[in-house]
Amino acid sequence: MDVRRWTLPVAAALAVLAAGYALWAGVSWWSASSNDSVAFSREREEVLRVGQVGIANFTTLDYKKVDEDLTRWLDSSTGELRAEIEDGRDKRRKQIEDAKTVTVSRVLDASVTELDARAGKAHLIAVVETTVTPESGQSVRKVNGYQTDLTRTDAGWKLSALGPVSPGGA
Amino acid sequence: MPPPRRRPVPTTPTTRPRVAGLRKRPEQAAPSDTTPVEDAQVDGTDATAAIDTTALDTAAIDTSAARTETLPSDRDLTRPTEVTGLIEPSEDDEAEGETSEPAPRPRPTGRRKRTGEAVAPSVLTDDGAHRAKSDADAWAARHNRPADRSSRLAASGPALPIALVVLAALLVGLGVWFQNRADGVSYNRALVDSAGTTEVVGQTREAIEKAFSYNFADVSATEKAANELLIGKAQCQYNAVFGPVRTLAPEQKLVVTVKAVSSGVTSLDGDHATVLLFLNQITTRTTDNQSGGGTATMRVSAQRVDGRWKVDNMEMFGQSGDQAAETAKC
Repeated sequence: MDVRRWTLPVAAALAVLAAGYALWAGVSWWSASSNDSVAFSREREEVLRVGQVGIANFTTLDYKKVDEDLTRWLDSSTGELRAEIEDGRDKRRKQIEDAKTVTVSRVLDASVTELDARAGKAHLIAVVETTVTPESGQSVRKVNGYQTDLTRTDAGWKLSALGPVSPGGA
Repeated sequence: MPPPRRRPVPTTPTTRPRVAGLRKRPEQAAPSDTTPVEDAQVDGTDATAAIDTTALDTAAIDTSAARTETLPSDRDLTRPTEVTGLIEPSEDDEAEGETSEPAPRPRPTGRRKRTGEAVAPSVLTDDGAHRAKSDADAWAARHNRPADRSSRLAASGPALPIALVVLAALLVGLGVWFQNRADGVSYNRALVDSAGTTEVVGQTREAIEKAFSYNFADVSATEKAANELLIGKAQCQYNAVFGPVRTLAPEQKLVVTVKAVSSGVTSLDGDHATVLLFLNQITTRTTDNQSGGGTATMRVSAQRVDGRWKVDNMEMFGQSGDQAAETAKC
């Protein structure tokens, strides 16, 4: 009899407590998923993705389709880097076509080392495995370090500088 | 109109005579209006019956109005037939009663008095049975309340608490899911936490530089660093990579200097971090002062132990086959 009398209030109390817990958890989820840090982290992920794709593009060249590859270079670059490619386009095409090499690269790992989300500037380092295959001959595989600057444009992040990781420092 | 009027006649015969009787005197037509209706309601006859009686009452008012013009006795006799054909049976009965006995006039008044004050009692007695029953039920209910409730709880009791407990369980499940989502939001804090990022980079760089730099004149510094700053799997990997240097170094009086030229945190989450390191290595053979250099790229996994970031895993990119084989054993 007593047990029966207690079951209802106890069950009701349980339900209330559970409702409170669910509410708290929901609020904490909401606050966790909507703050500046998360937004900044997403921006970093975006820079990382664009940087990896860009570096892979710039380290991949097939002498059979140089124009296509060079156009892709242009698409993923901006500023000085883009100007540099445009200026040296013909020269570069001739080099590649003469060498008759197919260069394929993939990024093994990369890290955004600097990011100024407000200014739209970022710096990224990447480890790239490059396989160079001459028209007739053994392919050579090499691992190189690259560093790149990225700049945010109206069309998203673009590479604005690219070079090897200098042994000297930084 | 006629059919509804006829209906109530057989159903509530007791009230009809009263109504008819009331008609006889105009002044009392008004009270009669209320009582029959009450009767009808209390008797539990349906709404139509009640309406019927009111219809009758209006008829009664008509008659009473008529009575002022003509003799009541005549009216009583004539009206019923006039007014209706409608209420024939009851009116006829009444008419008969009145015609046979002139004396009955007082009777109706007597009845009326009963109805006026005692109609209520009569109503009570009529419904008394019902009311008494309902009272009895109420009493029974009051007396039996605890028992009744408990029996209700017994019947419906398990359902509500069970429903609440199920609801509580569902809410807890929802809350756990929310919490999981909240934890899942745990984003990569690399760069986001700039101080933490700087600390991780600085300490892992230091750990790797110290462990892989070697001066034949001060072997203990390297060993100390390797023991302190590398933990777990990283110690085994270190031995695999650095073993050859250890054996050669004393003979050739080697000085090896490793410097991280570039580094970045790829992931930072709580006490775990991953760092990408570009290393530059300069080896100087002091016996003949020849030096050589090399570069290495390393992905380092670090763990925060006692407030200090320590390396617990190292992956070399583009390392030679021998080294890869050695480190793969770990």
